[in-house]
Amino acid sequence: MNTASTNQLPLGTTPPYARLHKWLQRGLFVCLTALVIEGTFTVPFLLLWYGWPTLSVVEVCSELQKVRYSDDSRECLFPYPLFGPAEGAGQKTAQDEWGVQPTPRYRKIGFRDLIKFRNERLARQAKAN
Amino acid sequence: MTTSALSLPNLSNAYDDHQEKSRQAQRRADRWLMSGTIVMGTLILGLIGFPLFLRGLVLQVRAQRAGLAVRPMVCTLLGYLVIIDSALNSIGWSLDMVAHHTLINRTILTAWGNMVDGGYFWHYNELWIGGSGAPGEKAWEIALIPVVFCMRLAAAIGFLQMKRWGHQWLIVTCWFGVIIWVGYVANMTVFADVRFTNVVFPVIGWWIYDIFYITPFLAIPYLHTVNREIFSD
Repeated sequence: MNTASTNQLPLGTTPPYARLHKWLQRGLFVCLTALVIEGTFTVPFLLLWYGWPTLSVVEVCSELQKVRYSDDSRECLFPYPLFGPAEGAGQKTAQDEWGVQPTPRYRKIGFRDLIKFRNERLARQAKAN
Repeated sequence: MTTSALSLPNLSNAYDDHQEKSRQAQRRADRWLMSGTIVMGTLILGLIGFPLFLRGLVLQVRAQRAGLAVRPMVCTLLGYLVIIDSALNSIGWSLDMVAHHTLINRTILTAWGNMVDGGYFWHYNELWIGGSGAPGEKAWEIALIPVVFCMRLAAAIGFLQMKRWGHQWLIVTCWFGVIIWVGYVANMTVFADVRFTNVVFPVIGWWIYDIFYITPFLAIPYLHTVNREIFSD
């Protein structure tokens, strides 16, 4: 008889499922910890990857738009008018291969590449002037 | 004779006293657990909410060791993690549904999209409804946020209260989660070009980030194997 060990089981857990419940509890802890760490570091990590603090948040937004729509003239309007039209409505510059499974053709953005893109663009504009 | 010691009113008083102390101990732990959960559910304040939550767990463990009748640990973890999971899913998708033109969304969410899921970068804010324009994405958001995650949140609250309906509805809504995962991943796979072309960390990046949202898959085996008698009407 293993009454003693049965008594040590948590409420609701019967002996056939004791090991399952133990591992589920550990899995839940892992998920909780991971979600907390992910959540906390998502925003700082993204901002750093995309060029903050060299670029301001508005500049990061603008540079992302330029890449998304392959259009160097796009800027992030801030603050955006409350009942304005969708920001990208009517755009004609995005590069895609259209079909039933569309394929984007925007450029890939590496670590802090938006700063590089901005500097290259400014150099091009200076040269053109 | 110890008749007086064994008389019913004394026994009943001792029982009521024990129940009341147990209730108070659980309530005290739940205050910390709820505060921690709410703060962790904001995503960005996760590391602030985590210690609050752990404090609640410690209080509950201490009450249990003192012989008080508190909720089983795995029920506490499961219930609150389902709430956090619902909150984190809801925050991202609610922003995409109604706050798509805020600066924080246009920067952070599209940056996240460019990093792991092109559906949140490709033609973002081009639909009249705003937000993600990836095929099928808006439909998933509209089906999941006001329906499934709200239901799951309510079920988790009932489950934490050890109610029978909470247990039952958490089973139902967690099985919804299986449909969510299968359907959502299938949609992403069919339109993988949109989702992963020129993304910084394609496929693996998405899975590493999102695998920790599998709480319903951990909940289902527990909900089906727990002794249901511990949940009251």
